[in-house]
Amino acid sequence: MKNKYIFGGIIILIFFSFMAYLFTQTNISYENNFTKVMNSNKTLKVTGSWVRENNYVYDKEKNLFMFTIKDENGNMMKVIYKGSIPNNFESATSVVVTGKYKDGYFHASDILTKCPSKYQEQYTAGS
Amino acid sequence: MIGNILLTLALAASVFTVVMYYLDFKGYVNAKIYARLGVHTTTILVIAASILLFHAILTHQYQYKYVYEYSGSGLSTGLLLSTFWAGQQGSFMLWVFFSVLVGLVLLDYTSKRGDLETRVMMVYMLVVFFLLILVNPTLKSPFNYIWVDPVFINLKNINHTYISMPFMRDFIFTDTTNNQSFVKMSKELYAILHTSGIPINEFIVEGKGLNPLLQNFWMQIHPPFLFIGFAMSAVPYSFAIAALIKNDYRDWIKQSFPWLLGATMVLGLAIMLGGYWAYGVLGWGGYWGWDPVENSSLIPWIIGAAAIHTFLIQRKYQAKGGNGRFVKTNLILSILMFILVLYSTFLTRSGILGDSSVHSFVAPGMLVYLFLIILMLTFLFIGLIGLAVRWKYLEKFENFQDNFLSRELALFTGSVALIASAIIILVGTSAPIWGQAVEIKFYNELNLPIAIIIGLLNGISLLLSWKFTKGKSFWKRTRTSLVITIIASALIIILGGINDVMLAIMTFSSMFTLIVNLEIAFKIIKDKALYAGAYIAHTGLALFMLGVVATGGFTQEKQIELEKGKPVKAFGYNITFLGYKPVENGKKFAFNVQLQKENSVEIISPVMYRSDFNNSLMREPDILNMLTKDFYVTPLSYSTGDDTRNHNGEKFTLKEGEEISFDNKTIKFVEFDFPQSEMNKMRAGGDFTIGAKLLVIDGNNKYEVEPKLRSANGNRSYENVSLENADLRIELTGLNAGTIDISVSKLSESSQAAPKKKTEVFTVEASIKPFIGLVWLGVIITVLGFAVSIVRRTKET
Repeated sequence: MKNKYIFGGIIILIFFSFMAYLFTQTNISYENNFTKVMNSNKTLKVTGSWVRENNYVYDKEKNLFMFTIKDENGNMMKVIYKGSIPNNFESATSVVVTGKYKDGYFHASDILTKCPSKYQEQYTAGS
Repeated sequence: MIGNILLTLALAASVFTVVMYYLDFKGYVNAKIYARLGVHTTTILVIAASILLFHAILTHQYQYKYVYEYSGSGLSTGLLLSTFWAGQQGSFMLWVFFSVLVGLVLLDYTSKRGDLETRVMMVYMLVVFFLLILVNPTLKSPFNYIWVDPVFINLKNINHTYISMPFMRDFIFTDTTNNQSFVKMSKELYAILHTSGIPINEFIVEGKGLNPLLQNFWMQIHPPFLFIGFAMSAVPYSFAIAALIKNDYRDWIKQSFPWLLGATMVLGLAIMLGGYWAYGVLGWGGYWGWDPVENSSLIPWIIGAAAIHTFLIQRKYQAKGGNGRFVKTNLILSILMFILVLYSTFLTRSGILGDSSVHSFVAPGMLVYLFLIILMLTFLFIGLIGLAVRWKYLEKFENFQDNFLSRELALFTGSVALIASAIIILVGTSAPIWGQAVEIKFYNELNLPIAIIIGLLNGISLLLSWKFTKGKSFWKRTRTSLVITIIASALIIILGGINDVMLAIMTFSSMFTLIVNLEIAFKIIKDKALYAGAYIAHTGLALFMLGVVATGGFTQEKQIELEKGKPVKAFGYNITFLGYKPVENGKKFAFNVQLQKENSVEIISPVMYRSDFNNSLMREPDILNMLTKDFYVTPLSYSTGDDTRNHNGEKFTLKEGEEISFDNKTIKFVEFDFPQSEMNKMRAGGDFTIGAKLLVIDGNNKYEVEPKLRSANGNRSYENVSLENADLRIELTGLNAGTIDISVSKLSESSQAAPKKKTEVFTVEASIKPFIGLVWLGVIITVLGFAVSIVRRTKET
């Protein structure tokens, strides 16, 4: 009877430590300050607003999609994404990109586009 | 108005019902008759409210905010049905709707079985009561009028005859950033319209429309199944609490079993219908993305599956009298399944996942946020208190000896493995609450070994006897299956070229499950067909797992540029783009792609279109289903061939005022030509042009040239410059903040100098998904197996 609990306890312990280890290996933090993003070599989730004036570029030969985002402090950052333009991108106001900053570009492995929140919310917030 | 009255009355009726059942429980005579009346009244009121909402959607009654927000006039009846559950209010309404229907069946079921009705229905109707609070006018009623909270309505949705009316001046606003005008629909405006005798329904003539991603068949059936599953998950919970109330743990397991099976079956089917939607419509390229929303409904499913196996042990042990084994575990898992459904609702509806999921969420407001937490905690506490009160008593009958080679130990270990998997997914999915997220790797790496263990345990458990198995007889039973499994998986591994160790073990594990279950299923299907449910379900599961190995490990992907009429070879096919044609009244464009292999010629037509709803390019994949694989094509882009860019030149990036030299000539980027008027057009999302003024100095000659970027209907094209006198070709390749990218080449050397024939190019992402059919086949077979078991377990009650 005692052995059963010890055995079970060990298995549970191994399971949770392995999970905790993998969690720290694969976890991604959110960071919205670009200065910090540029100084980090970790994979991050970054929210920014798409700088519409700078347009975007899609390089068909290399299948690279490039655009610029801006954080709340007005810092700009160029984003490179391997893949085509995501659905909804043109109407996005803010985007969440997952990836790493390296050599002047944020290399995104994933882009999540946030469509404009309802006009009413913007308006009531502004007035 | 009527809708809200109906819902409020239903709320009152549900409270009445709970109270009456409580009085009945306390022994008051006749209370049960009133309670039953209460159940029926609640049900009728909710059904009436649902019909009213659907009627409002069908008849486009935009005075209801919900109808305005999620519906439009151009939708077919089927799509209008989807509108019902396109938004939060409606999907809560759908949940309530199915809950009362399930409640009706449950009333019939429990009233025929002992003294169950009072306790079970009391708890169940408490759940219904809480759900009805959620659709109450103060929280998320779909019947709230549009003017209650001011809403800004795009001018295009307003009847134009009223816009010029003098009083309108105070209510029209223009957003300067995109030049769109809105009418502020507020109580004041409503009062004026009302006194002027203008019905709101004539004033607002069009709704915002339905999200195009939801406009398909799968979105018509996925949410209803999901909410039937959600509604049914409250039933095992009610049975568990009812058992705790009575402190009697013998019969509830038997009576709850068919419901547990049903809830798990429907929930699982709903999850995979969602998976098919992601695969066939969203163009994810797969059926599972570990998206938090998918995960959150998978967690209660896994707990349900774990509970089924421990239920089985308790049932088996009861044959010898007493309560049986794992009484506590079964109570806890039954409670947990429903709590996790509520937690899933909290995660997906509270706006917490806003930054981490492809599903878009609107924060529902503080009140709803709090209520979702209260909802979850209330039912959690009810369960915890019940368990705490009875714990001492429950501990008394947990004294069993385990033998290592016994079916119950294998089943229990399987349940533990399932729970471990649920914990993993729960941790990963909950990470956004504390501002974190995990990579997909986290789920894959942890769940793969668990899936292997589950596959092996499943096979082993069926070869073991209950209580105790002699090592020798176990070996005797196992060896045939084992040999067949080894040969079959070796063949698959060699022929399929599986060189990943984990995938190879997974193949073995799935094959083992498949062989053992098939063998037993065939043996018993003739005489005891009703007992074959579990084996059928596990056969399905094994096929599903094999499908996962094949698609997960061996999907091939490739981006292909298809020039019209020119075959391109890929994956052993000759792929030819034939051209596009408008479909659905010209709203969408189907791009016909011919796939030819030897003598077979097939045409598939992925679709692209610009949606007015979100002003975006939408892409829909198309799939050629074959026996052993799917050929999956996602459209990426289409160009008409005006693009004569030549990327062979030398590339430069220039700031304003900078210059470069090329072939003894100087090229200076003077400035952008981007007047305010063009800038405004761009911001408004219209067509615009940006020029880059360049100065070319070739000895004594100076040339001023201006290559341009044009954007028309969202398509960008570049206008390039050729200078014959200077033998220069300058192409604009990109525009950035303050800089331009150009490509410069000698005109005489440029191969592109000769006018190029116009070619249409369709770029796609093509992939081969081997044996993905096994995934869907596995799901169907599993559901069938569940159905058989439900029939059997219902007969036993």
